[in-house]
Amino acid sequence: MEMTVESVKMELPDTKTLRVTWPPDYEIEFKTGQFITLAWPDTQNYKRAYSLSSCALDRGAFEVTVKRDGKMGTRIVDWAKAGDKIMVLPPAGRFLPVFEETKHLLCIAGGSGVTPFRGFVREATLLKHPTRITILYSVRTPSDIIFHDEFRQLEKENPLVSFHVTCTRLPEGHEWAGRRGRITAEWIREHIQDLSQTVFYACGPNELVNSTEALVLEELKVPKEQMRTEKWG
Amino acid sequence: MSNIPSDLRYAKSHEWVRVAGDHATVGITDHAQHELTDVVFVELPQVHRIVKAGEACAVVESVKTASDIYSPVSGQIVEINAALSNNPGLVNTDPFGDGWFYKIKLSDAAEPEAMLAAEAYGKQVQG
Repeated sequence: MEMTVESVKMELPDTKTLRVTWPPDYEIEFKTGQFITLAWPDTQNYKRAYSLSSCALDRGAFEVTVKRDGKMGTRIVDWAKAGDKIMVLPPAGRFLPVFEETKHLLCIAGGSGVTPFRGFVREATLLKHPTRITILYSVRTPSDIIFHDEFRQLEKENPLVSFHVTCTRLPEGHEWAGRRGRITAEWIREHIQDLSQTVFYACGPNELVNSTEALVLEELKVPKEQMRTEKWG
Repeated sequence: MSNIPSDLRYAKSHEWVRVAGDHATVGITDHAQHELTDVVFVELPQVHRIVKAGEACAVVESVKTASDIYSPVSGQIVEINAALSNNPGLVNTDPFGDGWFYKIKLSDAAEPEAMLAAEAYGKQVQG
């Protein structure tokens, strides 16, 4: 399906949000947390999948937030502009939030893997879901945090949302006052209230997702049914 | 469970090497292609390029990610797999055969010996 880029927004120097307008009369049922697959009309065999950073309540357009990575990421970040045509395959995937009153969604992200969690929090806030959502976000430095201001704003609007960042590659003497170092079982454990009601999500580079899965399933002894993963969100 | 042929040598970064005399063929493993998911583009090094072991010399992009490929051995590239430009999916369907990346004239015949044997690589990918 050919769609039109409605607008673009640079989130970071290497990360851009692309808002793609649905064609007239296009109606689709999809779920927050799914991904869409993009291709340029001139190279339709070359496709890349990106998690939606918008949510299922955002009708009329899809939003994806893309890092300059590979040929597609480079073309989007450096060249995509409003008015461009782009091919879009419909949303797919099973990385879906469980919005139940008793549940606590503990969302662990690395780099651009935070993008689907923006969708989770948007939907929860817009619909006033009584579900607690905690985001633990690993970045190299504070300048790599995507959606920082937006998550802080959503925290204010929704008291059930909390957003925590850890920086892994800060030079000595850096002014960052927040947490430093990789994601650990202890850091995850600090945010668990009732383990049996916690659903763990991990999204990001394969290495981060694999190591997080090992922490959650092996160190924290969480049953596999309580964990969802998405590699390279 | 990944296919890991016993006659190849493996890098921790998931490349394989098949040695024949003073030449070797290089590709990525079944485990690697499975982790990458559907491969949509492969950028290969120039023929005649001289590479060192551990040097990034190719890029493989899947529908989900782009990854550098590191040459597991040192030497000079003598041939690249031109079929991958039209059919990058060969990396998924036949990673140890038609999905090979390049052939290299080894500058140090001992390097492949220092790489992982199939059993050791199998232990690595199975955690």
